[in-house]
Amino acid sequence: MKKRPELLAPAGNLEKLKMAILYGADAVFIGGQQFGLRSRAGNFGYDEMAEGVAFAHARGAKVYVAANMVTHEGDIEGAGEFFCQLRDIGIDAVIVSDPAMIEVCLTDAPGLPVHLSTQASATNYETLRFWREEGLERIVLAREVSMEEIREMKRQVDVEIETFVHGAMCISYSGRCTLSNHMALRDANRGGCAQSCRWKYGFFEADELLTDEMAARDEEPFSMSSVDLAMVRHIPDLVEAGVDSLKIEGRMKSIHYVATVCNVYRQVIDAYCDDPVGFEFDPAWEEEIWKAAQRELATGFYYGVPTENEQLFGKPRAIPQYAFAARVISYDPTTQLATLEQRNHFRRGEDVEFFGPGFVRFTQQIDELYDETGAMIETANQAMMTVRVKVEQPVATDFIMRKRKAGVVNTPVPSPV
Amino acid sequence: MMIQLVTTAQSVEQAEALIMAGSDRIYIGEATYGLRHKGDWSLEAVREVTAVAHRYGKEVTVAINNLMHNHQIETLPDYLAALKDIGIDSVTAGDPGAIRLIRNANIPYWYDAQTLVTSARHIQFWGKRDAIGAIAAREVTLTELGLIQQQIGLPVEVQVYGPTCIHHSKRPLLTNYFNEIGRPNDGAEKREYYVSEPSDAASRYPVYEDENGTHVFSEDLTLMGQLPVLLTGGLHTWKLEGWHAGHAFVDIVRLFDKARSDLLNGRFDRLVMERRLAELQPEQFRLGTGLLLRNPEEIK
Repeated sequence: MKKRPELLAPAGNLEKLKMAILYGADAVFIGGQQFGLRSRAGNFGYDEMAEGVAFAHARGAKVYVAANMVTHEGDIEGAGEFFCQLRDIGIDAVIVSDPAMIEVCLTDAPGLPVHLSTQASATNYETLRFWREEGLERIVLAREVSMEEIREMKRQVDVEIETFVHGAMCISYSGRCTLSNHMALRDANRGGCAQSCRWKYGFFEADELLTDEMAARDEEPFSMSSVDLAMVRHIPDLVEAGVDSLKIEGRMKSIHYVATVCNVYRQVIDAYCDDPVGFEFDPAWEEEIWKAAQRELATGFYYGVPTENEQLFGKPRAIPQYAFAARVISYDPTTQLATLEQRNHFRRGEDVEFFGPGFVRFTQQIDELYDETGAMIETANQAMMTVRVKVEQPVATDFIMRKRKAGVVNTPVPSPV
Repeated sequence: MMIQLVTTAQSVEQAEALIMAGSDRIYIGEATYGLRHKGDWSLEAVREVTAVAHRYGKEVTVAINNLMHNHQIETLPDYLAALKDIGIDSVTAGDPGAIRLIRNANIPYWYDAQTLVTSARHIQFWGKRDAIGAIAAREVTLTELGLIQQQIGLPVEVQVYGPTCIHHSKRPLLTNYFNEIGRPNDGAEKREYYVSEPSDAASRYPVYEDENGTHVFSEDLTLMGQLPVLLTGGLHTWKLEGWHAGHAFVDIVRLFDKARSDLLNGRFDRLVMERRLAELQPEQFRLGTGLLLRNPEEIK
């Protein structure tokens, strides 16, 4: 048995929070109404936070609030009160990057643990030492730190380390990019990032515009777009390095993403920690990860500096897309009928896949589809409508039914290393 | 009242010329511990430039403002000891680990976490931890800079001329790009590359790669026209970045030195000075004010 690192998942709203925990997250991070970096994510009011905390704590899980805005004059007003509210609601920690916010939290809301956000770019053991001395409990490392550097940090400093294992990435050091400010008047460090790095730019050498010449040769425009991170194959390395919390990115992502990714990482972590010697990587885990992928996947800086193969150039490779078709409300084992809440259009005769916590999965065709009155129907085409489907294997409340979206299929690119 | 001109320098000779032109503090660095400095600033050269500056009663600041990884932090104490021995006047730093070591070495430091330095309270946090001043993020508007300076006793350095970094990636984005398109990448670090944004073909953002990754710069900022506002707002530390001004840089510094004395003598003529700066400006680089003159409410 190995010490199990925490699996930390994003939760853009209350439903995602619950699904993340049901699908295996030990902790979730959410945003409040203020001081966050995801102005467009569904952020939590105090009442919703309280409900989320009650749900999480009843299941032994934790809730963290990201308050990682880089504040300008005036922005910080009310922060002390905000942190006190979070503490009193029972939030387990806040994730902060701005030293002004850290100071407010430590002085105004003692007892509320503070984690240093990845936005602060902690990249060395002395920085970890500094923040531990200031009273922080945990450091979320910059994504530029390598596996070997993490091992060295763990040897040098006794502070909790959290690292990203999955999701989208800034191609810059987080926080050290203001392309969006200068090009779109949207402050990247206050939740307004326009993802300018992913644009296609004109490219010049000295005075000469190379774009036209390159376009004539059908060459790629210059861009700075990173593929996504997936450490699913390398969990043993992270456990052995002593990482305390493994973080999944994506407060803006769907329920389908959160449930799928949590489900997989829960399996991998448990499989390795329960039996490190007998551990074998199950290719089904990776196959499952690809069902929630939006870009190609790679291992970031863990094993070296990313090359052109870890950037998006050219037409994005078509990755099979899966849609969240329905959520299971209940299941009757005698009739084998599952009651579903529709989330995306589906019809009789369609191939679907059911999956649930604990990495239960099976595919089947929808042969029997009924509406609420018990009448056989052909399609479930109304948002949130309640239907019943005959299932070939047992399911349970909160299982998800997914279906393939139309689109070209491509073989997943294997992870490097 | 003391207005300090802080200028980058690319060689000992240029540093001396800059001092003659009015520079009060020479800002140098090399890529292991500092970010984006031109010139070969070996310890020997640092010793030499420090001797020159001190002979004129001027100061030297060395950049320690990199994002340090373990291997850099490991050797930093030796580097700091060498700087201390040379007698440099101060360093810049934004990495809390580096700051920890700088405080141990008892060297005065300016807080410089680049894009992150955006509020008085943030600067005060480091003031309480011995910072002697702070370098404001270039994304902070002039209105906000005034508000910040009002609240704190430490000097806030404002960039009055030159480009600023608006994107720092640890990845070699130029090399990656050249590999992707199959273009030979011999000596890419010596050539000048620019990108233009999709919706503004006339824009030019210099892109440059070194051992710390890839850096994208803004247009050349200038606050020549706003120097009176800086003066009355108590913003008296003026940084001039000579990244690509080349031979014109010494003359540009001289012009700002004249602007300073004109201002103090009540003879500052904004239009004339702006015109002279435009004449000195290398033509391939656009002069602008970035976000400095924006209304803070515009940037969300």
